[in-house]
Amino acid sequence: MGRRIPPLATLFGLIPAVLLAAVPGGAGAQSFLGYRALGLPVGAAQARAVALGNLGIGLPGVQVNASDPASAARILFPTVSVSMQPTWGDFNLDGQTGTTRTTRFPMIGIGYPVLSAEGTVTVSLSGHMEQRWAGEQDRVVSLGGIDVPVNDRFETNGGSSVARVGWAQRLGDRFALGGSVGTYIGRIDQEFQRTLDSLVVGSDVRSYEENSSWQYGGYTFSAGFMADPHDLIHLAGAVEWSGDLTQEPRLETGEPGLSYSIPLRLSGGATSRLSQRLHINGSFVYQDWSAARGFEPGVVSDEKLSYGAGLEMQLIQRETRSFPMRLGYRHSALPFGYRDQGAVETSWSLGFGVNLVEIEGVRFGWMDFAAERGTRMSAPLSENFWRATISIGISSS
Amino acid sequence: MTEGPNRPLPGGPALVAALALAGCQESLPTAATDELVRGGVAVEVILPFEDFGTRTRVYGGYGRASELGGGFVAHAFGSGTGGVQEEGGLEAVTLLRFGRYPEFVSVSDTTGTTRPDSSLTFLSGRIAARFDTLSSVLPGPVEVTARAITEPWDGISANWEYAIDTLRHHVLWSQPGGGVLEEIGSAVWDPSTDGDSLHITVDSARVASWADTLNLARGVHLSTDHPGVRLQMRSALLWLETLPSINPDTLVDVLADTEATSFIYDPIPRIPDGSLRVGGAPAWRTVIDLDIPNTLNGPPDLCEALGCPLEITETHVSYAALQLTTHAESPAFAPSDTLTIDLRMVMVPDILPKSPLGPGTTGITGVALAPQLFRPPAGQIVEVPMTTVVRDLLRGETSDGDPVSSTVALLSTFEPLSIEYLSFEDAVGPGAPRLRLILNFSQGSGG
Repeated sequence: MGRRIPPLATLFGLIPAVLLAAVPGGAGAQSFLGYRALGLPVGAAQARAVALGNLGIGLPGVQVNASDPASAARILFPTVSVSMQPTWGDFNLDGQTGTTRTTRFPMIGIGYPVLSAEGTVTVSLSGHMEQRWAGEQDRVVSLGGIDVPVNDRFETNGGSSVARVGWAQRLGDRFALGGSVGTYIGRIDQEFQRTLDSLVVGSDVRSYEENSSWQYGGYTFSAGFMADPHDLIHLAGAVEWSGDLTQEPRLETGEPGLSYSIPLRLSGGATSRLSQRLHINGSFVYQDWSAARGFEPGVVSDEKLSYGAGLEMQLIQRETRSFPMRLGYRHSALPFGYRDQGAVETSWSLGFGVNLVEIEGVRFGWMDFAAERGTRMSAPLSENFWRATISIGISSS
Repeated sequence: MTEGPNRPLPGGPALVAALALAGCQESLPTAATDELVRGGVAVEVILPFEDFGTRTRVYGGYGRASELGGGFVAHAFGSGTGGVQEEGGLEAVTLLRFGRYPEFVSVSDTTGTTRPDSSLTFLSGRIAARFDTLSSVLPGPVEVTARAITEPWDGISANWEYAIDTLRHHVLWSQPGGGVLEEIGSAVWDPSTDGDSLHITVDSARVASWADTLNLARGVHLSTDHPGVRLQMRSALLWLETLPSINPDTLVDVLADTEATSFIYDPIPRIPDGSLRVGGAPAWRTVIDLDIPNTLNGPPDLCEALGCPLEITETHVSYAALQLTTHAESPAFAPSDTLTIDLRMVMVPDILPKSPLGPGTTGITGVALAPQLFRPPAGQIVEVPMTTVVRDLLRGETSDGDPVSSTVALLSTFEPLSIEYLSFEDAVGPGAPRLRLILNFSQGSGG
């Protein structure tokens, strides 16, 4: 490739700011699902995949994708990509309604090609499970024969993420393998607060607060491939094995640590070019949580298979830029329901991309946008959400 | 084609920033259901004194009567009802000393022009005393007599026995209660018709003699001969009737300075035997040595829910209060109006009674206690909140990291607050202080 790669000063200025913002915010989905377990899984984190209903595997092109270990094999220059997801939601729980709002930064990925070895080193930090919700209840307790109104509030905030280091190896022009090793990180903070009615008890009454904080740990390994058996077809597959996800108290409360088994995760995806400007893709994830250890009875959902599909059309195709439009649908099996019912998340998505610098199908600077309208169901809970995903990537020498 | 490869896309970063800002406001989904909040165990525990305290002491002598800023007038108050019966009840008189007279006054001359006039002729005077109609105890109209003090006295240290009672200078009255006195005048105070004010006329000769501010014997002695009366005086002023030189047809009232307002009384309360005491002037304090337990073996409900012995920390204590049983002691000093008390840590108990105290723990207003709680037969339980103290003791330091003391003092919010004091049952007997705790424990909540 003899062309000069254009400078991307604007994006280089923006990405550190986004990274900086991502550090304290962490991941933060907001759902009551999985409140007795590990919460809600983080799905696809890149706007292109989200817009296409893709589950994070099987999309062609240069990218660093935590759930597609071989996808970085064809990176030519050091690449950084980061995503941000503001979400607006509402819920209905047994007739109670409410709204939610949050912003999360579900993925940061870096790929560094080692040209002499025809491979790429990948580093990524991606969301895994998220637990952010609060419960309140007004009660009456009897103290010394006097009924005292109290307000109880329990809030949980946090989640687990996975930090991965991997290698993606090109094997010829049409095949690549990848693998990564990762560790679960993250924390969850919980606060229980009981407020007693000072008019009944006395003016000097204090709220009772109990805080606990847990730290996640554990290891995960993944391996995968990608292949282009034909000019019109792109395939990818991955398997991910995890050791137990541990949850240890961060404070010296004397509470014992907890341990959860994470089932094997199989995923695959394919993209086919229908015309010069139109691509179709499909992907699936299979993960059977039914035998997972460490959870309360009735918590784990029977749902196992997630799938999604989408279309990508290049609306504008220029010499060094393109503007694709995307449409997708996704059906995600969630591992934990609200009570003992299975939980499913479905969403329709629409998005577009701005490939700021694209040369011969390889993106060197891009911004992708996706908007999702989704629903989560697990009786008696239903949740709806609007979610925007913005991803920015740079690949430059 | 107008765009080139080096041209940046201007709207992209702005859109990202706008979306980031739009989504940065966090709002957790919150629902009211038992499933999400399993709650906890709340229990009230009443600890007897031996379970949280080791000793009580009563100290007196804090502050002076003159610091009260007012006075008392009493005669045979509380006699025949016990307490100070043997001594004939409470005797109290108010001592006043007026200071420099005004040196000039602005008056209108014959042309109507206002001019300062420094050539004043003081014709007479009028003592205007204001009494507290709520806290004063009187059966009806009361005659109050003003007498002139004839012996040098100290407006700060004077008491019933001594005209001057400073560290190195003690001068007895020639006779207790104010020494030799000369009649000035008297007036009847009837709150139903006079409101809160009483006026006693002072003749011109006395007004002239009080103009000598070097005379330490000048002063007014206010008393009553009406038995069973205790009046609380809030303030007293000396109004002077003066004739200005520039307009001799006009009389002008001017105000003299008030140098000292104090009161002396008899008898001085003795250290109580069998009761705790707070208040008075000079003030009394009750000091309690605490030994707050950090484990509990009851009550049964708590042990059944969480097991015993159960360790408690400061976070478990939502409320703590010292429960005191009121005690009817001397009617001469029994409260006739609401008094307020505070509870503070004694920071250096080894140097009691002069130890510095920690900050107040009951707020600016303290704990207000109504007078009827202390009327015979008393025995009412009152609470003095001490949540902060108990939490700090269980923590081993204050929330700011300052040291704590396990010795606390019960005292009036201001010392002295009143001649009246509050009495409580001591640590021996059924009315001993108790500690009321409201404890909370969670049983694990949420998911």
